[in-house]
Amino acid sequence: MADLSVDLNGFKLKSPILSASGTFGYCDEFEDFINVSKLGSVVTKALSINPKKGNEGNRIFETNGGMINRIGLENIGIKEFINKKLPILKEKNIDFIVNLAGSNFEDYIEASKIANKNGIKAIEVNVSCPNVKEGCLEFGTNPKTLYELTSSIKDVYKGFLIIKLTPNVSDIESLAIAAQSAGADCISAINTLKGLGVKIEITEDKKIIKQTVSGGLSGRCIKPVALSMVKRIKEAIKIPVIGIGGISNRDDVLEFLSVGADAVEIGTENFTNPNITEKITNELIELIDKLNLKNLDELKRKLRE
Amino acid sequence: MKKNHQGIIKENIKIAKDTFKLTFDSNIKEVKAGQFVSILIPDKTLRRPFSVSDFVEDKISIIYKLKGDGTKYISSLKEGEKIDFIGPMGNSFNIENKKRALIVGAGVGIAPMLYLKKVLNKNNIENFLISGFKEEKEIIKGSDKYVIGGSVLDSIEGLIDEYKPDVIYSCGPYIVLKLLSHIAKEKGIETQVAMEKLMACSIGVCRGCVIELKRGNETLNASVCKDGPVFKGSEIVWQI
Repeated sequence: MADLSVDLNGFKLKSPILSASGTFGYCDEFEDFINVSKLGSVVTKALSINPKKGNEGNRIFETNGGMINRIGLENIGIKEFINKKLPILKEKNIDFIVNLAGSNFEDYIEASKIANKNGIKAIEVNVSCPNVKEGCLEFGTNPKTLYELTSSIKDVYKGFLIIKLTPNVSDIESLAIAAQSAGADCISAINTLKGLGVKIEITEDKKIIKQTVSGGLSGRCIKPVALSMVKRIKEAIKIPVIGIGGISNRDDVLEFLSVGADAVEIGTENFTNPNITEKITNELIELIDKLNLKNLDELKRKLRE
Repeated sequence: MKKNHQGIIKENIKIAKDTFKLTFDSNIKEVKAGQFVSILIPDKTLRRPFSVSDFVEDKISIIYKLKGDGTKYISSLKEGEKIDFIGPMGNSFNIENKKRALIVGAGVGIAPMLYLKKVLNKNNIENFLISGFKEEKEIIKGSDKYVIGGSVLDSIEGLIDEYKPDVIYSCGPYIVLKLLSHIAKEKGIETQVAMEKLMACSIGVCRGCVIELKRGNETLNASVCKDGPVFKGSEIVWQI
């Protein structure tokens, strides 16, 4: 059987297919649908230092080819994760990456310290959160802020550090370079795009009912944006890149690999087809065999020729 | 047990104005009253959840009202065609130690109540199903009493006093469930309501469909898809 393993600068994955944060729970929630331990890694729902209740009101909105969410990072908090979920992941031999979120520098550092202390091998830092001390601008939109945040985390966290970039910037290269210079081991991109969902309904009695949901756009419709960003990032930096955005089938994965992604995360499609990660994994193996190649690295080389 | 399934359509019939019943072979062994299935709609990101309205051997029925692209697709399905669904999902109505149940259905919200009634009958739990519809043409059959026009709640207080249920089960529009929960609370009767909310994952991971519950002095978020769809009416923090 074809070897799907990936070496991200020393951090080894058994497969390039990962689940994206926020779409897969904390650990084994998808076991009703797939064999989770076959994934390259589960990326956990974003964890903050304290539990968060998230946003009130409507949290999701379906769009053509995707959806908008404003969950507001509802999560159980990293301590609860370590107490309750970590043992399950270990027992079931599920590889995982812990996604971290914060609303100020101190939160990120504190959470990273906890991850470090508990031997978490890899973290993915969500830098799309608003920085409450700096006018709620996202950490990941300013290269200087991102550099400082990344290097501060690097100081306290000794595992594999992935910075997950936001696409809501004009110059993604400068952010990727800032994260690399500050010591990030890997970049993942993209997070959701800012979007506004508006629904207008005209009732039988001639009333106009309007619903709006402002949040992050994800799903199949964002793939071209993600491909473009991944390509630009890859050309600007040397560290590995995990591609994320609108992947729904095997060919989408090939497209990301062809523009330089070393691995990929699958997000919103898990809602549509909860077995999609396993399906794509199997199809990748079949393809590599069919092309008489030995492993994923050979496939990547072919795709990039 | 894996929850990805293929259903084979047995029947898709009109049962009331804009209202249809879909029955499909499911290969599923057990469905509890209150549980739902989430159906894949081609070219749509989000699956559409539907309460199970009947379950005979492995045949699942759902009742749906034509509303948007999702239900339009489902209404186009013909006998022998296949659907991709996940389920059964969610919790169920608790019928343990219940003796006399009042069931209240409003509009298409009656769907899970029809299956619940069947389950109660099977368990020899006395029950009475009252349902409300906007007009005669919209009536979905299977109730003991119908309220046409007006609200199903108009005569509910008298009915509760007369019938003396030890539990009230309900499904329907938010406002109906909210008012019914208040009425029942005042009378000291337990209510269990099946809630509806736009869902993304149907599995409990995305936290898109949460509602707020109050337990003791604490409030917490519960997902309608996994922690629900059935909640105690007295625990829900009802919004305006």
